[in-house]
Amino acid sequence: MNENLFAPFICPTIMGISTLPIIMIFPCLIFTTPKRWLPNRIQMLQIWLIRLITKQMMTMHNNLGRTWALMLMTLILFIATTNLLGLLPYSFTPTTQLSMNISMAIPLWMATVLLGFRNKPKTSLAHFLPQGTPTLLIPMLIIIETISLFIQPLALAVRLTANITAGHLLIHLISSAALALVSINIVLSSVTLIVLFLLTILELAVAMIQAYVFTLLVSLYLHNNT
Amino acid sequence: MLSRLALHAAGALAPALKNAAPLAPGVLQASRIFHTASPHLAPLPPLPEHGGKIRHGLIPEEFFGFMYPKTGVTGPYVLGTGLILYLLSKEIYVITADTVAAMTTLGLFIYVVKKYGPSIASFADKLREDQLGQAEGLKQASLKGISDAIELEKKQQALVAKRHYLFDVQRNNIAMTLEVFYRERLHKVYTEVKNRLDYHIAKQNMMRRKEQEHMISWVENHVMKSISAQEVSHFWHVW
Repeated sequence: MNENLFAPFICPTIMGISTLPIIMIFPCLIFTTPKRWLPNRIQMLQIWLIRLITKQMMTMHNNLGRTWALMLMTLILFIATTNLLGLLPYSFTPTTQLSMNISMAIPLWMATVLLGFRNKPKTSLAHFLPQGTPTLLIPMLIIIETISLFIQPLALAVRLTANITAGHLLIHLISSAALALVSINIVLSSVTLIVLFLLTILELAVAMIQAYVFTLLVSLYLHNNT
Repeated sequence: MLSRLALHAAGALAPALKNAAPLAPGVLQASRIFHTASPHLAPLPPLPEHGGKIRHGLIPEEFFGFMYPKTGVTGPYVLGTGLILYLLSKEIYVITADTVAAMTTLGLFIYVVKKYGPSIASFADKLREDQLGQAEGLKQASLKGISDAIELEKKQQALVAKRHYLFDVQRNNIAMTLEVFYRERLHKVYTEVKNRLDYHIAKQNMMRRKEQEHMISWVENHVMKSISAQEVSHFWHVW
């Protein structure tokens, strides 16, 4: 039972060769570029969605921030599709692996910090002290702000990992409970309802992308504009 | 080129090969054409209006058509049922927790597709129509602009043809003004001359009147003078 519970989170291998690169590249196949002027329905919807998200996210940045548009759009699309594909049965979600999320979070966060320190060092350092703090609290607050700054990448990575992993685990547990209860009770019907609800809630995994990219965006915004 | 030479030599050696279709590089058995050059990028071949026909959203119609001659209408369904039962009974496919999760996920997916599929499809179609309409609108606007320019040009040309009217009108106006001035001056001259002539006439009339008056008064005076006193008393006696 214990081994079965975490079996979905083992990186699948084919004869000892990890298939993780293939799994990570697979979502690219979903996003096709139209070769004609009038694309088909799916491409039309994808183009419309990507334009909508880009417009929403990039309006609050200045020119330097907008050079990150491609990076951020790639990020949100990758995480969204990976999470949604992970909801399908018998699939593997790369974003459940902490290693992958940390390797996404740390470079991006560090890039924003370094950008801020390079372009506007005074403003970046000024972020450690919010406005209007009493004088006695300043040393404390600077230490706290430094700690919070260094926690940011860890928080980003662990947030994503924990959410997706917890969701998958819950689905697994509740469906195994439903399976076990079939021979005992028709409480199964209410349990399958709960599984259904959990799934719709888990589709808020897509909202996790929002959380991920938004926190990243907010940090970029703060480092560039304020 | 060497391959062509080799083929020709092979054809010379084995006459049977000569009867084969002309073997150019890239042609094998004359029925499978391999890529011999980069593909033509324009014009693209038109897309078909509808995709292939599908039954139950998964299985193409060709499968059912393939099995129909041998097994009839129910053939594929019997095959499917048998396959599933075989997998389940032999535990090749084990029912685990994933099965329940799969059923729920796929059930939700099918429900969402059935419920919101048409509206999303019509939305995508509307997006296409909007894009097409934009381009069409651009085309129409440019066409309209050009046709308006043509109309304007034609009107201008027609106006140019009638330009002489403008000059005629101006000429007429000026001629009329000149005429008016001339008449005015003529009238002035007339009145001046008449004035002078009237003066002379008036002077003559006055002279004549004066002379008449003078003559009359002279005659009166003489008559009065000639009337003696005795004639006056005679007159009064008679009366």
